[in-house]
Amino acid sequence: METKQNSRRGFFKIAAGVAATAAAAPALLASEKSQTTNGAYLEYAKRKVGSLAALKSSGTLDFSYPDADSPCQAVYVNGEVKAYSILCTHKGCPLMYNASNNTFVCPCHFSKFDAQKDGQMIIGQATTELPQVFVKVEGDSIIAYGIDGLVFGRESNKLG
Amino acid sequence: MGFSVNDRLPVPPVGCEEKNITCEFCIVGCGYKAYKWPVGTQGNAKKNALGVDLSVQQPTYGTWASPQMFNTVTDRDGSKHNIMVIPDAKCVVNEGQNSARGGNMASTLFTASSPTRDRLKDPMVYGGGSLNRTTWNESMDLTARVLKKIMDNDGEDQVAVKMFDHGGGGGGFENTWGTGKLFFSAIQTRSAAIHNRPAYNSEVYATREMGIGELNTSYYDTELADTIFVIGANPYETQTNLYLMHWAKNLQGSTIDAKKKEYERGETAKAGRIIFVDQRVTPSIVNAIELAGKENVLHLRIKPGTDVTLMNALLTYIREKDWDDSSFIKHHTQDYEKTLKANKTSLSHAEKVTGIKKADIIKAAEWIAKKKESGHRPRNAIYYEKGIIWGIKNYENVSSIVNVAIQTHSVGRVGTGVCRLGGHQEGYCRPPTPKGMPDRKHLKVIDKLAAEGNYLAFFTWGCNPFVDSIMGQQLKTSFTRRSEIVRKAIDRNLGADNATLADAIYRACKYDGGLFIIDADIYPTFKSDVAHVQFPAVTTMEMNLTSMSGERRMRLSEKVVDGPGTAKPDCLIAADIANHLKSLYKKDKNWTMAKRFEGFNWRSEEDSFKDGFAGQGAKMDSQGGPTGVLATYDLLRKAGNNGVQLPIKEVKNGKLIGTRMLYTDNKFGTKSGKAMFKPSAQPSMPAQVQRQIDKYEFFVTSGRLNEVWQSNFHTSRLPLVKERWPIAPVEMNPEDARKKGIKHGDLVMLYNDYGSVRAVAYVATTVRKGELFMAFGFPNSPVNNIVTDFVDPDTKIPYYKGTAASIKRIGRVEDIANGMSFKDRI
Repeated sequence: METKQNSRRGFFKIAAGVAATAAAAPALLASEKSQTTNGAYLEYAKRKVGSLAALKSSGTLDFSYPDADSPCQAVYVNGEVKAYSILCTHKGCPLMYNASNNTFVCPCHFSKFDAQKDGQMIIGQATTELPQVFVKVEGDSIIAYGIDGLVFGRESNKLG
Repeated sequence: MGFSVNDRLPVPPVGCEEKNITCEFCIVGCGYKAYKWPVGTQGNAKKNALGVDLSVQQPTYGTWASPQMFNTVTDRDGSKHNIMVIPDAKCVVNEGQNSARGGNMASTLFTASSPTRDRLKDPMVYGGGSLNRTTWNESMDLTARVLKKIMDNDGEDQVAVKMFDHGGGGGGFENTWGTGKLFFSAIQTRSAAIHNRPAYNSEVYATREMGIGELNTSYYDTELADTIFVIGANPYETQTNLYLMHWAKNLQGSTIDAKKKEYERGETAKAGRIIFVDQRVTPSIVNAIELAGKENVLHLRIKPGTDVTLMNALLTYIREKDWDDSSFIKHHTQDYEKTLKANKTSLSHAEKVTGIKKADIIKAAEWIAKKKESGHRPRNAIYYEKGIIWGIKNYENVSSIVNVAIQTHSVGRVGTGVCRLGGHQEGYCRPPTPKGMPDRKHLKVIDKLAAEGNYLAFFTWGCNPFVDSIMGQQLKTSFTRRSEIVRKAIDRNLGADNATLADAIYRACKYDGGLFIIDADIYPTFKSDVAHVQFPAVTTMEMNLTSMSGERRMRLSEKVVDGPGTAKPDCLIAADIANHLKSLYKKDKNWTMAKRFEGFNWRSEEDSFKDGFAGQGAKMDSQGGPTGVLATYDLLRKAGNNGVQLPIKEVKNGKLIGTRMLYTDNKFGTKSGKAMFKPSAQPSMPAQVQRQIDKYEFFVTSGRLNEVWQSNFHTSRLPLVKERWPIAPVEMNPEDARKKGIKHGDLVMLYNDYGSVRAVAYVATTVRKGELFMAFGFPNSPVNNIVTDFVDPDTKIPYYKGTAASIKRIGRVEDIANGMSFKDRI
């Protein structure tokens, strides 16, 4: 996938794999996101997407879910694993993670999403927060088991 | 919110209803497509109305509907439909791109289980402690009877009105004409004010009197500019797709080929540069650096209220360097020498006053006036908006900018223009204001007069003066007190017929200081707490609407769904009032008055369009001008989302032919036909603002947030805003925050002599020490509570952008503090 609008200058100095150095923000209230509690969801396959130890050491974990055409990224924030679709919910540009402040940033139209607030749009032209991948940790395994929100470029998260 | 599907959407089937929609939000006017199909039917991945194979992942920039672009509605016949509203890839304005606002249009539609469920559905009349649903006939009859009494006994001017006059959501040439005809040629009141200002006035008298209409160029021409000059505006957040589609292309260098084609032979054509004049660091500035590179972005970080000094210094320096367009000035302008003399400002003085380094002022002058390598003069797209319009003094703020634009010949040439950026789309078409309306220097400041106890009846029509006017808090207090007097009179007459009730209301207003308040709107607001009669209106997608954008692009935005309940277009509400008054006057055998209320036999909004925009031409004040009569709904429907740029030149082979740019013939809108320079002296700080500055700790300015539209009527109901901005944020410099013991998410109060307002603290480096920036337009935390009553004496436009206040920490409301992100917005 390529973006139509590349910056004339390099956009991000932060290379993938740089560990998150930001101090953890105060713990969030569990009930902060009220919208996802009463909806219908498709059935998704449970799948191991990576190792917790590896995520903790590198700060981010790239994977795709529920299929190969849906790039996602897990990050370790607030002492827990959070995972998101990284196709911008505006026009589908692949987002870049800024580990210094735990945000996903769109290089095309400058939308910014907060990885510590369930993908809330900080500013930008998308109409929704980032789709969040439901993950659980079993031992060292990070297991994806569903998605909350519609992935860009699909009318259903399950293609076909 | 009801039950929702979170990870899939229904697909519009082939052959479903497809309509053109112009975005109801900002002035840019992006094109959208609305698809409508019955619940129970749908297309599939391979065969659908979108014409794409949905069985595979769509590419970046591909067709996609986010969940916010979908809704289900019930029409008045009980039928249920799916609605999808997505950006139109074939519209030249936005090429398939949406803003955060426009992309939510489907979500703003009325449905009983959505956040818009509280839309006004039927007329309401007050009685027994609350507003009560009623019929159009009863509410109209009561309103007409009270109005008639006031007009007959006290004169038309005792009926005051504060109304929208625009073409965006709910406006359009249709409704602006309907309400204008009611108030100006039927009722004939001179007590009128516009939606966001306390008088009936223009925000751009200065440029018009200099001979230059405020929307004179095209978005395409901004792609061709050498330099874009932006003063007092933050277009990434407020004119998003002008910035992201058109300016971005220019700044990234992808329009160089177009420049070569459009420029003179041999003329230097490079990627564009951009200058911002702003006291804050805005997302527009930071993002421009990403697009153009640091060396091509100049941020002049000005001290509040000193824009005129900067512009005068540029004017002076450009003359000194001999960079002005002497041939253009000689043949097509007047009063240059006089203005140069009056505005003479040295660089050193300007540096001292504005806080901008001399070298940066020189750089700005070079970018807009120094000849290019090829010897050609730079082409500048000069844009200003509310930072200027609502600045220290409206008239001089605007004229000082237009002076420099004329001097550098930044009008009427390819790749140039000197324009307001604009807020909403436009749709002005009204009869002239009634005879005896004072000139701009003597206009009445209606909102202030109303707060002080004047007028017997007051219409609040499609606007919210308690959020968007001066002295918001006083206005609220006064309306509450005066409304209560009338409400008590009504409660003493419960069960009485309308004649008796109208008499009681009239007496309460006339003798006891009451105010009869009539509201027309789409949602309940604070106005519902004070109104005695309330009329429900429909809005975009619920009626056909025509309007024009910031490049004068006129479109027909089509009706897709029925409005809630018995709500109807504002123009038909206005007609209903007129027809009721006509019949009351006929009963009285007062034929003279009855005649004034004739001409409202409209059955649809198209009738209002035919009577106004397409019927009057140059006979009325219309943005369509004399050739507006060529427009029809049919032709506009054919023109689709690309519409036609006004003025219409002709109809050729069934197609409307428009005008890309104005003043290409160098004939300007003055008596002499020459563009007129205007002396513009630096205004001093208004006394009442200065008193606040002397007494309180912080200078306070205000502005828009990307996701919040106007008085937040639709947007506050969207999840995007509800969670992100539960109340207005106030941005505060980290050092100031530390000193005051204020942290991200703290609930704070700003206060001064005029009032107080609560906000949530957002600690940010975007503001300097000693300055606060508070978001504008939140009914639950309106910054205008602390705005002074100052208006420019020459135009009656307020200085909304400048006041002073102290700030104190109230404490924390965890629900607010924890739900919001406080990360940097730049």
